[in-house]
Amino acid sequence: MGYSIIVLVKQVPDMNAVRIDRATGQPVLSDQRVISSFDEYAIEEALRIKEAHGGEVVVVSAGPPSVKDAIQRALGMGADRGVLLACDQINDFDTLAVAEILANHLRGMTYDIILCGQNSDDYATGHVGPQVAELLGIPHISSVTKVELDGQQLTVHRDTEEGKQVVEVGTPVLLMAMTGLNEPRYPSLKGIMAAKKKPIEQVSVTVPEAGARLRWGEPFVLERGSAGRILQDVPAAEAAKELVAWLREQKLIPTG
Amino acid sequence: MAADGGVLIVGEATEGALRPVSLEIVSAGRQVADSLGQPLVAALLGSGIESAARELARFGVERVLVVDDPRLAAYTAGATTAVLASIARQLEPSVILIPGTTAGRDFAPRLAARLRTGLAADCVELAVEDGAVVAVRPILGGRVQTAVNLGGSRPQMATIRPGSFEKATASGSEGTVEPIPVDLSDDDLRVLVKGLVTEESNGATRLDQAPVIVAGGRGLKEPENFQLIEELAAELGAAVGASRAVVDAGWRPHHEQVGQTGQTVSPRLYIAVGISGAVQHLVGMQGSDYIVAINRDPDAPIFKIASFGIVGDLFEVVPAVIAELRAAKA
Repeated sequence: MGYSIIVLVKQVPDMNAVRIDRATGQPVLSDQRVISSFDEYAIEEALRIKEAHGGEVVVVSAGPPSVKDAIQRALGMGADRGVLLACDQINDFDTLAVAEILANHLRGMTYDIILCGQNSDDYATGHVGPQVAELLGIPHISSVTKVELDGQQLTVHRDTEEGKQVVEVGTPVLLMAMTGLNEPRYPSLKGIMAAKKKPIEQVSVTVPEAGARLRWGEPFVLERGSAGRILQDVPAAEAAKELVAWLREQKLIPTG
Repeated sequence: MAADGGVLIVGEATEGALRPVSLEIVSAGRQVADSLGQPLVAALLGSGIESAARELARFGVERVLVVDDPRLAAYTAGATTAVLASIARQLEPSVILIPGTTAGRDFAPRLAARLRTGLAADCVELAVEDGAVVAVRPILGGRVQTAVNLGGSRPQMATIRPGSFEKATASGSEGTVEPIPVDLSDDDLRVLVKGLVTEESNGATRLDQAPVIVAGGRGLKEPENFQLIEELAAELGAAVGASRAVVDAGWRPHHEQVGQTGQTVSPRLYIAVGISGAVQHLVGMQGSDYIVAINRDPDAPIFKIASFGIVGDLFEVVPAVIAELRAAKA
C-alpha cells in the first residue's frame, strides 16, 4: 500500500542575490541556483505523507544539467528517486509548454498525488501546476496549507481572501503547496550520503511546439517614487502628535 | 477562431454581492476594448447573483453573461473552467482578463491550458499595440518588471493584479444582462467545498475591502506584541495585516499576509509597523493611497515609499499614537 507521490521541482536563481547592474540598469541573476522555496514545502509534505502512510516519492524536474543539483537535494531530504527531463531551453517556453513537457512524461508514470509549489521564486506565475493537472485531466488545489488523507480521499485546507477553506477531493490530484503547510527539513549528512546512491533517470524531451504564444520584452527596473515626510530623532510623543495631525489634514481620520 | 467577439472580463461575487475587484477588472477591460474598438463583455458566475449582475451592467459593460447555478455557489476551479471555456468557445473573444485573486490565479492557468492559449500572470498595466495586448508584470521578486506581448495566440489572456486599476464608475448606459445555461459534468465537480474554518476568520475585516490597514512585522519581536497593532487598528477601525516573516513564524494567520505570496491590497491608508519593506511585501501594498511607516531603521526600504514616516522605537511610538488618537476623540 502507500501512496505514489510525484513532486514537481523548479530550480531557480537565488532571488536574495539578484543585483541591478548600475551601468545597464539590468537585473543580474545569481549563479547560485536553489530549489524554488514553495517547492521545498511540496517535497516536505510528500515526505511526511510517505512517512505516515508508506509509498514512494519521485522528484521530477525539467531544465538544463544543473537541475540535477536540485534533484540531488530533494533526494538528500529523503525522496526515493529523481527524473531529470533534459531541456536546456526551458526558460524560453511559456508555462503551457513547460506543463506539456512535464505532463507528457507524467502520463507514463503512476501517481496518486502530485505536489508542486504555489509559484516559483523567479517568474511567480503559479501556472504550471494547474496546467499540468489540466493536461492530465485531474483536479488541482492551490494555496494548500493542510492535507489529511483517508485512503484515496483527501481533506485539504486552502488559503483564500476570506480565510481557510476546507475542500474534499479524491486521488489522483495535484496539490500546490503554500506557506504554512509545513517547515521543510534540511538534508542530513546521512541523507546527502544516501542520496548519492539513489537513481536519477535522465530523459531527453521532445520540445513542444511553443508557437510563440507570448513574447517577452527586456526586463526593466522599477523606479521608486519620491519619499514623503520622514521624522527622525523626534521624541515619540511629539512624532505621534505630528502624525495624528497629518492624518487629520489628509482626512484619513475624522476631524475631532 | 475569428476571435473578435469582444473583450471578456470575469467578475467576482461572494454571497450574492459584487466584489470590489470586479470594478477594477471593468476598468482594465474598458481600456483594452476601447483600444481594440470591440465590445466589453463580462461573465459573472455564482448562485443568486442576479442583482450583482444588474449592478455590474451599470458600469459601462455592453453585456453581462450571468451563470447562476447552485453548483457555482462556492468557487471551484473545475466548474469555473468548464463554464468559461464554453463561453469562450461561443463568444470567441480576442481578450480575456481575469482578476488576480485567489480564485482568478487558480482557474486562469487551467482555462488557458484548455483553450491552448498563452497567459500572462499578475499584470499591472495593459496596452494595445497593432491589435496585440502588451501587459507589464513584475518578476524576480517584484523589483523588476517586464512587458509581455500576448499577440501570438487567441484569446489573449491575462490575470490582473488587484489594486492595479482604478474602480470603474457607474456609466449612464446600462448593459444587457443575459442568463447563460450551465452544462457541468461530474468531472468538473470533483472538488467538494465544505466551507470555511470559521474560528480563523471570525470578526476579521477582509483585507481587500478594508479602507485602513495596520500591518505589523518582525520589528514587533514577539507574537504577544501584536496586541499593539490590534489596539492601533481598533482605534482607527482598521483591519490587521502582517508581513510574510511573521506569518511564516506562525504569529499570524496567512489570510492576514500582505505581499507577493499573500494579498495585494490598496487601502486608502496603510500603516506599516516594524516592517522593513522587503520587495515581496512592497508589491502587495504599494498601491495604497497613503502609506505610513514606523520603523527603527532609517534605511529601511519602506521609508522610500512612505507618505509619512517615523524613524523610532515602535514600542514608544505606537502607544503614543494610540494615546494621541484617544485624546483627539475625548
